[in-house]
Amino acid sequence: MDPSKLHTHPEVARILERRRFLKNAAAGTLLVALGGGTYVVAAADDPRAKTQRPDGRPRLPPGQRIIDALKPMGGDPGDPSPASFKLHVHGEVENPVTLDFAKLLALPQTDLTCDVHCVTGWSMFDATWRGVQLAELAKLVRVRSTARYVIFEAANSYTSNVRLSEALAPGVLVAHQHGGKPLSRPHGPPARALVPDLYFWKSAKWLTGIRFSARDRPGYWETRGYHNHADPWKEERYG
Amino acid sequence: MADKPRGRRFSWRGLVRVVHGDLGHVAVGLTFVYALSGLAVNHIADWDPNFRNHEEVHELGGPLAGNDEGIAQTVLARLAIRDTPQEVYRAADDQLDVVFERRTLHVTPSTGRVVDEGQEPRFLLRMANWLHLNRGKKAWTYVADTYAVGLLVLAVSGVLMLPGRRGLLGRGGLWLLVGVLVPVLYVHFSGGP
Repeated sequence: MDPSKLHTHPEVARILERRRFLKNAAAGTLLVALGGGTYVVAAADDPRAKTQRPDGRPRLPPGQRIIDALKPMGGDPGDPSPASFKLHVHGEVENPVTLDFAKLLALPQTDLTCDVHCVTGWSMFDATWRGVQLAELAKLVRVRSTARYVIFEAANSYTSNVRLSEALAPGVLVAHQHGGKPLSRPHGPPARALVPDLYFWKSAKWLTGIRFSARDRPGYWETRGYHNHADPWKEERYG
Repeated sequence: MADKPRGRRFSWRGLVRVVHGDLGHVAVGLTFVYALSGLAVNHIADWDPNFRNHEEVHELGGPLAGNDEGIAQTVLARLAIRDTPQEVYRAADDQLDVVFERRTLHVTPSTGRVVDEGQEPRFLLRMANWLHLNRGKKAWTYVADTYAVGLLVLAVSGVLMLPGRRGLLGRGGLWLLVGVLVPVLYVHFSGGP
């Protein structure tokens, strides 16, 4: 039909308008779907995904895709104030201590580049961190031989549990910088735990305490159906 | 002789319709909130459903001299920030933090570098997500449980109200089976827990 005559046939005009809308909507949906697919395929094609760690494990754990920056993963925010920060290191120890932020920064600092893996399926390679090794804090408080677990205590009663042997690994930090900058608000300032070789929920944000414990105490997510150990290479996502 | 007024006879069908209708409207309201929040939380790895985050780096060009308060005032003036900070804290020789309620300026006095970061809550979504994840008071568990039971009542009363010609032996039964099969097949093919 001649478009100039459409105004004399409003019914036809309405039908054509509807068809145009449906066509555009379908094209838009297809574009978004294909776009998402391209994103997934591109992530899977990243050559870094095929490399190996020094310990022989693949650098990218199964079921993960590589992203370029840490995602803010929510959680009830704690107090970001460095002046109010207090870190209680206690439990099965000879010498419990409470550190303010300046004291934490006065301890020997470790700069670390590592990969982190989130249970939701993303991994960030070569994330840079600065902080104090948990092993350094363990030395400071003189951990008793009865201790078997470390419980990270954080704002709003969030906790996560890690085996002592894994918590004392050189890559486990109380981190206060990421990417060369102090932790930004989504990432649990002023200090958070960093346990690179376990799913990232173990790395409690807005850290308030570190408890050395003789018994295991499953934490916030562990008591809500997530795995108690959380090894990304064994895909220990759910309990 | 006048007719005796006839009382309305009790009808199970009528009761089911009223319960289904009233409960249905309550459920619609709750479903809007839960569904939107559920979509937001399901895709938490793709965006932050609770906050809008921002981060900028400012180079103020050279060292900043003075005491902590003086440096903080200089930074605020240079960045045209009029808010009053909650605290000014020197964490280390070369790290001064100027903290506001939703924003922090991390100042490196020796270089004049300022990392300006903060976040603003997405008001409605943040509240909905907070409820969805049941991070609020435990009392919300009772509301959530009631909602779940309400959905069960709606489902059962819906089946009773619209049984179709052959009831659950007909097309309705097939669709019901499809509904049950979706999670069952998902668990089966995903390997389960």
